[in-house]
Amino acid sequence: MIEHNPFFEAMKQAVSQTLENMAFVEAMEHYDQNYELPAEDLVWTSMLIMDPVQGELHLAMSKTLLVKLTTAIFALDVDEVTEDQLHDSLDELLNTIGGLFMSNLLADNQTYRLGLPEFGEGKLPAPEPNSVIWKLMTTDEDPLQIIATGAPLVALKD
Amino acid sequence: MKRIIIADDSATARMFIKRCLQIIGLGDAEIVEAEHGKEALAAAKEQCPDILLTDLNMPVMDGETLLKWVKASPKLCELPVIIITSAGNPAKEAQLLKLGARQVINKPVSPPVMMNALKDFLED
Repeated sequence: MIEHNPFFEAMKQAVSQTLENMAFVEAMEHYDQNYELPAEDLVWTSMLIMDPVQGELHLAMSKTLLVKLTTAIFALDVDEVTEDQLHDSLDELLNTIGGLFMSNLLADNQTYRLGLPEFGEGKLPAPEPNSVIWKLMTTDEDPLQIIATGAPLVALKD
Repeated sequence: MKRIIIADDSATARMFIKRCLQIIGLGDAEIVEAEHGKEALAAAKEQCPDILLTDLNMPVMDGETLLKWVKASPKLCELPVIIITSAGNPAKEAQLLKLGARQVINKPVSPPVMMNALKDFLED
């Protein structure tokens, strides 16, 4: 189970709000916290958190789920969606999730600065040992993962 | 017809903003899209828009720099600028309002929030 402290809740709330608002799907904790996303068909995007703490967020899911979300976001049929739209929508999802996460986590008088998301496919970069992973799924049970790395960022959970 | 510039490096975000504008009754507005602040600034100088909606975090020229350039320009200083950002919180919002932003909206943007931010503009 995901721990219920403000750090974990901040991310769950950020993912829920973003997916519901942009793609009209709900997100929740995955019922099996031991599952691993398969490396094949995997897409991900990474974004640096630059201030006031340094770290990186990764959002990973199957390309199948990304296509579902992108068709919902762009109101297109599956065969109309382009690769550029897939990449861009995943980047924008993480950008929005990352912003809400930091906003939920930090005090109102604390500003923060995010980097630009970078898209990747295939095997995820190996996470650092102290990384925090949120294993989530949509109401259709499509899994997705968010990973937070970087000691200063992860230290916020304590 | 209203002319609106949307500046965001994400095509997804621009599309999402356009959809919100349609829902709140601005479907017939002329939309000019820009991928960064520099492009938006050039478009604003050329096309005399009624309002500028911009992201903050963009390559080439970010939204805060764009806002400063707009407010420093005698030709553009009256142009209403609305910031739509994923990096907004009360502290940042206060800073941007001080720089001359009309409103600051946090992503993900929704039609009711957009409607509220553009209330004065819709009434004109």
